[in-house]
Amino acid sequence: MKTTNSRFGEIEYDPDSLLYFPAGLIGLPDLRYFIVMPNKKKGPLFWIQSVDDPDIAFVLADPTNFFLEYKVVPEANERKILHLEKEDECFILTVVTVPPDQNITLNLAAPILLSPKTNRAMQVILEDSVYSSKMPLPQ
Amino acid sequence: MLVLTRKLGEGIVIGDDVTITVVEMKGGNVRIGIDAPRSKKIYRQEIYDRIVEENRGAAHWDMTDLNSISDNLTVKKVTK
Repeated sequence: MKTTNSRFGEIEYDPDSLLYFPAGLIGLPDLRYFIVMPNKKKGPLFWIQSVDDPDIAFVLADPTNFFLEYKVVPEANERKILHLEKEDECFILTVVTVPPDQNITLNLAAPILLSPKTNRAMQVILEDSVYSSKMPLPQ
Repeated sequence: MLVLTRKLGEGIVIGDDVTITVVEMKGGNVRIGIDAPRSKKIYRQEIYDRIVEENRGAAHWDMTDLNSISDNLTVKKVTK
């Protein structure tokens, strides 16, 4: 086990179970390694802590918890980056913005693709899609 | 910033694998053709900027807010 600092104190983690973003996140290319934090509360939200920058953490969710029909299929070059083989599963996650007024929004325009087998992940932009980068939760 | 003047049909080569061509000019719009390897990500600037801004905004949040939201969140499966 290793430890790293975060805004929430020192965190112990297993280096073998880190998420690896070979290209970082969009606009944040140096953030390659993240710790998946177990959720203290029940519910669809969880968070990941950057190992590269203690100040940065993201709240994530499986968007189909809120938008059942949301679907993203990784393209061939994305499958290559994730080392996804033909039958491998690919998780689709979304970055959640948590503002002080607690009206959270989901960035459905730039989902995160994750291979649970290799822990490799990447963020993609769905440029021609109808999805918003600030999608409020359905009422 | 490097600024070049091009005529309709003329292009610009960037490195060995990217070519940009002026395809059409009409009513203040310029249509641009881009030849690049599939692994090169190409975005309209305003869309890219929006995602960068959203990511930066999502990186800083308060644990108290997250806990309180998680307590109140009811997951409803809905159709968009």
